[in-house]
This record gives sequence, C-alpha cells and structure tokens, in this order.
Amino acid sequence: MAIIAGSTITASQYIACSEKRDKYGHITSRISGASAKAGHMMRDGVFHTPTNSTEYDAVIIGGGVAGLAAARILHHRGMSNYRLLELESHTGGNASFGENAYSAYPRGAHYLPIPNTDNQPLLDMLAEAGILTGYNSNGLPVYSETDLCFDPEERLYIHGRWQEGLIPQFGTSKATQQEMKRWLDEMLQLRTVRGNDGRYAFDIPIANSSADPAFRELDNINMRQYLTQKGYQSEELYWYLDYCCRDDYGAGIDIISAWAGIHYFASRKGKAANADNSQMLTWPQGNGRLVQHLQQFSKDKTLDQAIVYKVTQQDNRVAIDYYDMKEHTTHRIIAKACILATPQFVTQRLIPGGQYNHDFVYSPWLVANITLDAIPESSGYQLCWDNVIYKGKSLGYVYAQQQQLFQQMPARQVITYYLPLDHLDPVESRKYAIALEPQQWVKLITDDLEKVHPDIHAVIRDVDITVWGHGMIRPHTGFITGAARAAAQVSPYKNIFYAHSDLSGVSIFEEAFYHGNKAANALVDYCS
Amino acid sequence: MEILLLLSVFVIATCGLIYELVAGTLASYLLGDSVTQFSTIIGVYLFSMGIGAWLSRFFKKDLLSWFIQLEILVGLIGGISSALLFLLFEHAASFRLVLYLLVGLTGTLVGLELPLLMNILKDRYEFKDLVSRVFTFDYIGALLASLIFPLLLVPYLGLIRTSCFFGIMNVAVAIVVCVRFKQEVKWATYLKTKAIACIAALVAIFFWADKIMSYSEGVAFRDPVIYSHSSAYQRIVLTRSRLDLRLYLNGNLQFSSADEYRYHEALVHPPMMYSPKRSHILILGGGDGMAARELLKYPEVQQITLVDLDPAMTKLFRSNSMLVGLNDSSLLSPRIKVINADAFQWLKENKQQFDVAIVDFPDPGNYAVGKLYTTAFYRKLRNALTDSSVIVIQSTSPFVAPKAFWCVNTTLQECNFQTIPYHTYVPSFGEWGYVMASPAPLSQHHDQLPAGLRYFTAATFRQMADFTPDMQNRKVLANHLNNQILVQYFEDEWGKYQE
Repeated sequence: MAIIAGSTITASQYIACSEKRDKYGHITSRISGASAKAGHMMRDGVFHTPTNSTEYDAVIIGGGVAGLAAARILHHRGMSNYRLLELESHTGGNASFGENAYSAYPRGAHYLPIPNTDNQPLLDMLAEAGILTGYNSNGLPVYSETDLCFDPEERLYIHGRWQEGLIPQFGTSKATQQEMKRWLDEMLQLRTVRGNDGRYAFDIPIANSSADPAFRELDNINMRQYLTQKGYQSEELYWYLDYCCRDDYGAGIDIISAWAGIHYFASRKGKAANADNSQMLTWPQGNGRLVQHLQQFSKDKTLDQAIVYKVTQQDNRVAIDYYDMKEHTTHRIIAKACILATPQFVTQRLIPGGQYNHDFVYSPWLVANITLDAIPESSGYQLCWDNVIYKGKSLGYVYAQQQQLFQQMPARQVITYYLPLDHLDPVESRKYAIALEPQQWVKLITDDLEKVHPDIHAVIRDVDITVWGHGMIRPHTGFITGAARAAAQVSPYKNIFYAHSDLSGVSIFEEAFYHGNKAANALVDYCS
Repeated sequence: MEILLLLSVFVIATCGLIYELVAGTLASYLLGDSVTQFSTIIGVYLFSMGIGAWLSRFFKKDLLSWFIQLEILVGLIGGISSALLFLLFEHAASFRLVLYLLVGLTGTLVGLELPLLMNILKDRYEFKDLVSRVFTFDYIGALLASLIFPLLLVPYLGLIRTSCFFGIMNVAVAIVVCVRFKQEVKWATYLKTKAIACIAALVAIFFWADKIMSYSEGVAFRDPVIYSHSSAYQRIVLTRSRLDLRLYLNGNLQFSSADEYRYHEALVHPPMMYSPKRSHILILGGGDGMAARELLKYPEVQQITLVDLDPAMTKLFRSNSMLVGLNDSSLLSPRIKVINADAFQWLKENKQQFDVAIVDFPDPGNYAVGKLYTTAFYRKLRNALTDSSVIVIQSTSPFVAPKAFWCVNTTLQECNFQTIPYHTYVPSFGEWGYVMASPAPLSQHHDQLPAGLRYFTAATFRQMADFTPDMQNRKVLANHLNNQILVQYFEDEWGKYQE
C-alpha cells in the first residue's frame, strides 16, 4: 500500500510541538509500515524496459489478504507455477503485524467477527487453519476457545469513568436508553430481512446482498440523514454510530452511506456452537494470525520489494514489468493470466488505458503500538480487550495481551491505538500524516490518552507508528450502488482478474477473502 | 535576636509546606488518583491558612507566648498527622472527612503563624523591611521544602518519619524562642515542659514508624503480621495468634494452621481413593506443600510434580522452620519435584502423564485466575492425564457461592469428565467445596487410607458427597475464556456475602 504524498506542509502548522518536549523525551518511536517511498516510485519512477523475461502460468500482484487468499486457491486447485509480487518487504497488507520482546501486535486489522454460517469458503479456511475445530450436532461451527476474544471484551470511558460495553449507558437518560434499544431492535430485525429477490438485504460478501431498490436506496443518504428520518435524537446514539462508522470505514456518519452504516450491524448473522453472534475471533498479532496461515501458499513463490509498474497484453498473454528494489533491476514476467490484487488507484495505473475513478475514496489511518510499563488503573470497569473513549478523537486502544493464557504478565504491556485520520478530507489528511515526525505523533497520541489515563506518558516506553495513507475503501454516500464500483468489478481483459476489498466498498477481511477466491477461481477456469 | 526570629520564619515555612506535601502524597497513596488528591488537599490547605490568618486578629496580648503555644501545637498535629492517617485508614468510616479535617486544622494553625510573628516583629522593624524579610525567608523555606521532599525525604525517611521530623523542628522553634526570650515570655517553664513532652512523643513515633506501618497493614488481618513479602506475583502475609498461624495471599486467607488438615485431607484423599494407579502425582498450585504432605503418606507415590507460579512461596515453605514443621518438610522430600512455572504454560509443554492431579489454585476472583478454571484449561490438563486418572479441583464455597461451585462442576462435565462434587466444613473457611473428576466413570479403588489422618475417613466422605438443599446443584453455564462466567458468579456471590 502506498502513501501518495503531496506538497510539503510543515507539521507545526497542525501541532505546536515546542511545549514541554521533555515530557516525552524518554519515549522512543519510529514510523514503520507501508512504504511511501515504494509507492511513489511506482507512481513517478522512470524504469528501463526489461531485457529479460521469465514465464509462469499465473501471477498475483499484491500480497494483501485478497492476494494471499488467491494464492491459496491456486494451490488448492492444483496450480503451482505461479508467483506473487509484493511492493513491501512482507506480505499481509492491512493485516500486517509486528512483534517486540513483550508481545506480537497488529499493525492494522485485528479481529474477525464470528462468520456467517453460509460463508462456507471462509469457514473452510478457518478449519484448515485450526481456528474452527469442528461442528456440533446442530451443524454450528465450534471455534478454538483460545482464538475467541476473551472476556472482558469491551469498555467505554464516559462521564469520567469506564463502563462495561461500548453502547453508552453510564449517566445516560432514559430516553437515550430507549433509543439505543430501538436501534438495536431495528438492526436485529434488518439482519434477517430479505429483499424481493429472496436475498438478504444486507449480507457478506456484499455481492450476495439483495438488489431490491427498497434497500439499495439507503445508499443515497448518509447515516445521519437516516437517523434523523427515523426520528432518532439521542446524542449518545449519534456518537455511537459515528464511532461504529469511523471504526469500520474510517469516516463518520456525515460521510458514510446509510446502507453501509446499517451493513455494519445487519450483515453479521454469524452463529457458533460456543460463541455469541456479537463475538470476535482475535489474536495478539490481530489478523496477522490469518495472514500467517495464508502465507504458506505463496511462501516460496513471493517476490517481495517488487514494484510492478506496467501490465500489458502480449500475444494472448500478460506481460508484467516490475522493478526489483533489492537488485535495482527491472524484469518482465510473461504469464497466461494474472490477478491484480491491488486497490483501484494502483490497478488503473498499471493496466493499459486504465482510468482511476475518483469515486474510489480511501480513508487514511494511523495505528500505533504503544509499549508501556503498565496500563494505569482508572475508575470504573476493568481493562478490556477493546477500550473506547466516548467522543474521543481516536477509537481508543486494544489490549492484545488479553488473549494470553498465563498468570504472569510480561514485564511490559503493548496496547494498539487506532486513529482514523478523518479530521480533514483524505487528501489533506494524507499530507498532514506524512509531514509528522515520530515525536509529533507521540505527543498527539499521548495527549489523547492522557484524557483517560493522566500521567500515562511517564510509563510509555516506545511507540511504533504505522501510517496507512490509503487504509480503507470508504463507502461514502452513493458509492456501494454507484457506477464506479459496478464498472470496476471486471477487468477489460479476459486474462486479467481484479481482487481487492475496495471492489466491495467495505474494507473487511471477508470481502478481501471473497474477491481473492473469486478472482483465483476465475483464473484457474480461464487457464484450463 | 531578629535573625533568630527570621530563622524561625524559615523553619516554619519549610514545615508548613512539608505537611501539605505529606498530606497530598498520603492521600494519593491511600485513595489513588493523585491529581484530584493533590489539588483538593492544596485547596483545603490554602483556604485553611486563610482562616488562620483571619483568626490572628483576635490575638491581642502575650503574643510571644501564644506564638510558642502555636508552634508546639503545629509541631504536634503536623508531626503525628501521617502516622494518624495511616492508622485511621482502616478504621475511619469516612476517611476523607478525617483527612480534610486534619488538613484543615493543620492549615489553620500554619496560617496563624506568620501573621502572629509579624505582629511580634512589627515594633522591631520598619514595616517595609519586615514584610520584605519575612516573605523572603518564607519563600526560601518553601523552595527548600519542595526540593528535599521528593529527593530526600520520601525516599529515605518515608512519610511518617518526615512529618515527625518536621514536627520536631516546629517544636524546637518553640523551645528556642522560649529560651531566648525568657524575660518576655509568660509561663515559660510550663511551655518548655509541654514542648519537651511533645518532642519526646514525636521522637517515639519517629522510631516506631515501621511498627506503625505494619500495624496499619495488620489491621486488614485479624492477628499480628509476622511476615510480609511482596513477590513478583502476590503479597504473601503470615499472621500469628495464640491459636494458629495463617497464610494470606493478596489478603485472601489460604489456610489456618488450626484446621488446614481438614481442608488438605479432604482435597487429597478422595482422588487417591478413586484413582486405580497413584504413583505419579501432579499438584498445580499448592506451593505451601500441605497437599504434598498428605500425598507423601502413601508409600506407592513415587514422584510428585508440584507446579507453582511463585518461587517466593515454595522457597518460604522450604526454608522457614515453622512452616517446614507444618508441611512435614514435604517440599524437601526426594520424591518431590518443584517447578516454578505458570500452570497453563507448563501444561502446554508437558509430555508426562499423571495418575492423579490436585488442582489447588486461588479462588477465581479475577479474570487472570479465572482462566485457570476454563474449559480451555481443563482440556489442556486432560493431555497430562491417562484415561483412568483422577483429578480434584478446589472449587470455592458451595454455601456462599453455589453458582460458582457448580459452574466448576459443569465446566468439567462439558470437557467430558465424570465428576463427583463434594464439600466439607473447615472452620476458618466455612463450608468448602471440591470437584473430583475423571475421564472414566469414577469408582472407589482403594479402601485403605494412610495412618495418621485426623479428619478424613471413608465414612466421612459419604457425607461429603451429599449436598443439603441450600447447596444443591444450580443451573449454571460452563466457564469459557470468552465468557469468564465463573468470575462473574464468584464476584456476585462473594460480593453479597461480604457486604
């Protein structure tokens, strides 16, 4: 994933950093993750035409979840002569992870909700990974207990204390509580509603959702308009849904379409023998656990730090030109077919005559893994896996060591802090993000956390910062049902297949996995 | 002469700020949330000083004598304040009220000091000189106090000794003034005597500060604390009374020497009676060596593997002669292998299979310990067992916490264990519960119990397995990592009981 930098805007325009620098003097920090440099090279670089070429049956461009899932299908369907090209030095995309002496930690996506029981390809993959251990007598999946999110799961800091659960309750009015209940009941009802074509109104993958205009038209209004139309008034409810939209899509209720906002709630119909519908599968390294499983199918077939800069047609085949960042050389691969498991702003740059449609908007994100001596105690409900701050700038933090089994905690703890950069429009946010120095991020993050944990700066040791310039496709009003998304589903070439969660319009593991599977199956069918 | 009075200003100012810092620090120690504590303490203190300043107008004559009286009083109250607060923390119904009253009183007295002193000095100096000098010394004193308090006093003296020391300084000012101005001071002898008595009291507290600290911890316990140690994992406290010796971990009673044999005999002998083979035994927890002591009474026990998290515990129960006497040197036996490891971690790596496993963890009072009572844990434990092995789980009180107790039973059943729940009366604990379990149907394989048991018999066991209606099986859920329902049952039930 690349970060497209724009003009240089000095960070100090946004953050006055001079004040009390020493307060953070002891904290080490660095920015890691998606390499903006590589992304810019792909965009701006001038490359010599390769003089050598190698042949493979298939090539996958992009080693995110979609690309890795595609490799798995190629393997399972008997192909072996393929390669996966990745821009970064590692595959995993949004589900990448890091590790230090104390814990593994996610750099991006960090959980998978209990999958829908009709999503058999996903269930099969989870079984293959040992996460789904079998089915009970009612046919419900049984998940490995250590992969389910341990209790206590979620807490919210509101009115000066932590409460259990994320739905605001502490200190809220009776009217608010009634609206919350009304909302949840409405969502529960929409979960099972089907359109006039017999399909679920909201489903995962999104491609399976009903085309019934009665539901599709919800994509034309934003989430706030929907709530107003439905007569909701509670400030806390509006905040909660804004939080949910920011959490899943990187932008709030004024931007996200009502269809997408509802999809977050109504599409999840998962059932399990040993977990509730609302529960999650999660790991200290986040969805890195899933990536680690998928990586085995492309382990010896991955060319990393390979910048693909051109994909062309050559005698019924595909020619893929890439620049090897390690050798500083260019190469050409000739393949029978290829999968572009890349976001549209990359895909359209690679194929001949590609036109990037700017209706594809990507939300920038910051993820920071904070190593600290101890998580300070504070009043109210105890430390949970997910810790959210009411009306916070960030989404709060996730405490991944919760998923460890042992009595003895490591000497230091790691928490993962999530901040959607939605205070400016995505382009401006990206410029803002790329201009900040690590120490400035440290100040910004620590100041935010100090609101709930005064003096937390004193126990913070290290901050590992990951900036996602194009973190998530943004289902803004009109995007899911719009022409841009529809047009991007299929490539104009019979031997090129697209696979990326942006084709769904929501950036979740299930969608990336779906598109990876779909493209790989189509490729194998094409080749045979 | 004037220099002497100005030096008094300096000492007074230092003392005054120290009392404020002591109160703020102590409040944050005992109540938490340092920002709130410090800011409210400073507020109350400064406001009280204002009251003191206002009150100073009512002192019209014999100012020097009043000043000396005041110094003695400030010294006494400021000096004993932190000792008092430590002691009252456990007893006072509203500790905050006591705290703010004490801070208010100290503040008022300190607020009186400078106005009174300025009235005394007003005839000896030009007004502008007086103000300038008094405030100069006042602020220098404040600087000194704020520097030495965090750098020297708290780390080296501790809070109780710090306030005592400055109390003594306050009273010393009284004595010096008293001696130096003996012609001008009324009731000089009376004042001197009083001051010396106060100094004596403060010196005594100064030297007994450690005792006071341990008393303040001791009141959390019924009996005098004879040993306390914070290991990496827990706070270990031993108390001793005329009748018994008690072990507390993190404030929770683990055993009383007067009746622990009831608990441990009931824990160990049923699974030993029910297990066909019993040569290799696993103990999880049980770092006090008491369960091991019972096991070592069986000649056929070849090896006991004891896995306890805390090396401080096993070391203590291996080396202290009083404790070694209690566990009959079980941890020193050649038949025991002590491993200090996390039970979950250890089970993950263990390859050995055991005939009997004794699981004696602390009660599931928090989410960390709660993980050791989950289906995930029992499934791991199953890998360390044969198909006919027998295990026992200490399972809290079926009387106080029936849901928690039956939850352990249900959780084991969900992992395909056959179970026999039972209970016994341990006077220091009350009614206590255990669940015996095996992958195979449970039946008694041995009649012969080792000699020397004080409580357990086969007949007693038949009673133990019988549950009266108030302890009957409840409809409960099994405890999983993703619901931790046992911790919730436990908190609900024990919480009610302790209110």
